[in-house]
Amino acid sequence: MSGALIELVNVRKSFTRGGLLSHRRVQAVDDVSFRIAADDPVIFTIIGESGSGKSTLARMILNITPPTSGSIVFRGRDLSTIRGGADRTAFMAAVQPIFQNPFEAFNPLKRLDHYLHVTARRFTGAKGQAVEQRTDEVLRQVGLSLAEVRGRFPHELSGGQLQRVAIARALVSRPALIVADEPVSMVDASLRMAIVNLFRGLRDDLGISIVYITHDLATAYYISDELMIMQKGKVVEAGAARPILSDPQHPYSRQLKDAVLSPALAGARDGANGGSDARPFHAS
Amino acid sequence: MSAPVPAVPSAAAAAAPVPAAPVLSVQDLKAYYRTRYFGVTRDVRAVDGVSFEVRAGEIYGLAGESSSGKTTLIKAIAGAIRPPLEVVGGTMTFSFLPGSPGLHRASPAEVAGIRWRHLSYIMQGSMNVLNPVRRVKHSFDDFAFRHMGLARSAFWAEVEAHLARVDLDPSVLAAYPHELSGGMRQRVTIALATLCRPEFVIADEPTTALDVLVQKTVLGMIRSVQREIGSSLLFVTHDMGVHAALTDRLAIMYAGRLAEEGRTAEIFARPRHPYTRHLVGSLPRIGDASERKSLDGTPPNLADPPPGCRFHPRCPLAMDVCRREQPAMIADGPDHRVACFAVHPQSEGHP
Repeated sequence: MSGALIELVNVRKSFTRGGLLSHRRVQAVDDVSFRIAADDPVIFTIIGESGSGKSTLARMILNITPPTSGSIVFRGRDLSTIRGGADRTAFMAAVQPIFQNPFEAFNPLKRLDHYLHVTARRFTGAKGQAVEQRTDEVLRQVGLSLAEVRGRFPHELSGGQLQRVAIARALVSRPALIVADEPVSMVDASLRMAIVNLFRGLRDDLGISIVYITHDLATAYYISDELMIMQKGKVVEAGAARPILSDPQHPYSRQLKDAVLSPALAGARDGANGGSDARPFHAS
Repeated sequence: MSAPVPAVPSAAAAAAPVPAAPVLSVQDLKAYYRTRYFGVTRDVRAVDGVSFEVRAGEIYGLAGESSSGKTTLIKAIAGAIRPPLEVVGGTMTFSFLPGSPGLHRASPAEVAGIRWRHLSYIMQGSMNVLNPVRRVKHSFDDFAFRHMGLARSAFWAEVEAHLARVDLDPSVLAAYPHELSGGMRQRVTIALATLCRPEFVIADEPTTALDVLVQKTVLGMIRSVQREIGSSLLFVTHDMGVHAALTDRLAIMYAGRLAEEGRTAEIFARPRHPYTRHLVGSLPRIGDASERKSLDGTPPNLADPPPGCRFHPRCPLAMDVCRREQPAMIADGPDHRVACFAVHPQSEGHP
């Protein structure tokens, strides 16, 4: 058994809601444990609806918020022991986020190359020419180039291009782990598979493990190695991705799979059975 | 030059067997965002020569990515034209507004008589329809009461009966929008949009913001209400899975023009246009982990679209003619049209 890249043990997070009189605790994440091995890069997918606690979990892995109880250990070090600027920077270099909406991830008044240059200077210690070299290198890894991005503002790029720039920015520091929170839900259909294929490439070519958070079971099936389904903060099913998605056991997982609107439904109406009853929506 | 508003048919008449004529017929519609600076006119050709018909009682799907012009198209159809958007050419004829080139030419009084009564919308953000500082019942009062021609008590009885169709308790009427969940709010807007049994309903990504489980419920309700009141529905979304499950016919829009149109099942089973083929072929499916190709390049800038077919820079089948001329929409089998030189070499020469 090799060492863990990241290991979560009985992680819980609760929030307090309401004022003095209507005091209520909400368990956003309730007893979640999983580990990602250090030597075998994987795409680890977390599936759940809004309110299932998946984004809170992502924020805890990124060390943005601390867990209420339980431990998160990254490369043998508990995240709660990370203190001080140097430690924090080293952690941030190794664990990078990609957010849902690329239009909100970038300041609309700043040029995109500025973000990449600042990240390169801060995390790689590069100066002068080396900054541009590193920036161009990561942009090429996502299918862009510095020449295309230089001097451009976020609104000048399409959502798909912008999400690629966000991925390039995350790659600058040569991370070991990327936490991607719904990275394709704002991206157009024709560009979505390009982003998803890019994640595969990061895993296979650069050896980066990815925590892929989504509610889309179809892309999860396409790229995931391991998978965890969450409902109201609890893990209801976890394990190897494809067996779970092919044959989910928990009632909630089955419900999720049944709700997937598969392109195969289009043929149901004209199928041999005839009638519209074969389709999921019919007048009661 | 304004056509008179036709008499309001009774609810029974609206539910009667559907006429053969289309509810909406769009002919060669051109809607541009037109800006003029120092005498220089600049057009963003968001909708550029689109023709289609929506038949009575059907769900007509419109698919396309962002910046393909689908929102501009429904703005034009709904008559929600604000500068710099202009309808530069073409007509949009409604069955309930015969002789008129479209709502953008109708007077404010005519539009007020048509909206909600004959044409209504289900929007993506339910909060944009419901007034956040007023209880839900006021929204029903504001939008629908004057169209229904009912006494107060009969009106509220009808509202409550209609809310039951989308599985909502009458108590939601007393709630503020923020007190309801996203799914409940979207059901309220569906009830609001269909209360007056309009002939034509536009749904603009109504379930995109909802969770998968809620989305399925809401889509089912849209379907059952649409069947019950016999409306035609123009359903706009980029989600091909939703189209597969819900729509009867489907049009694929790319860069301001229609690429292909046909029965939904046919589009998914035998897509003709290279763009449609890519859209359908790249959909990930559970149980199939084979490599999905992605399309190179990005959608064109509509202020300066490429000459010829707008898809040619990304098209694997692009030929010389594609770079020079625009392909016309040409029939390809029953109920199927496609605009592609690779599918119809003979379409060369047509404008």
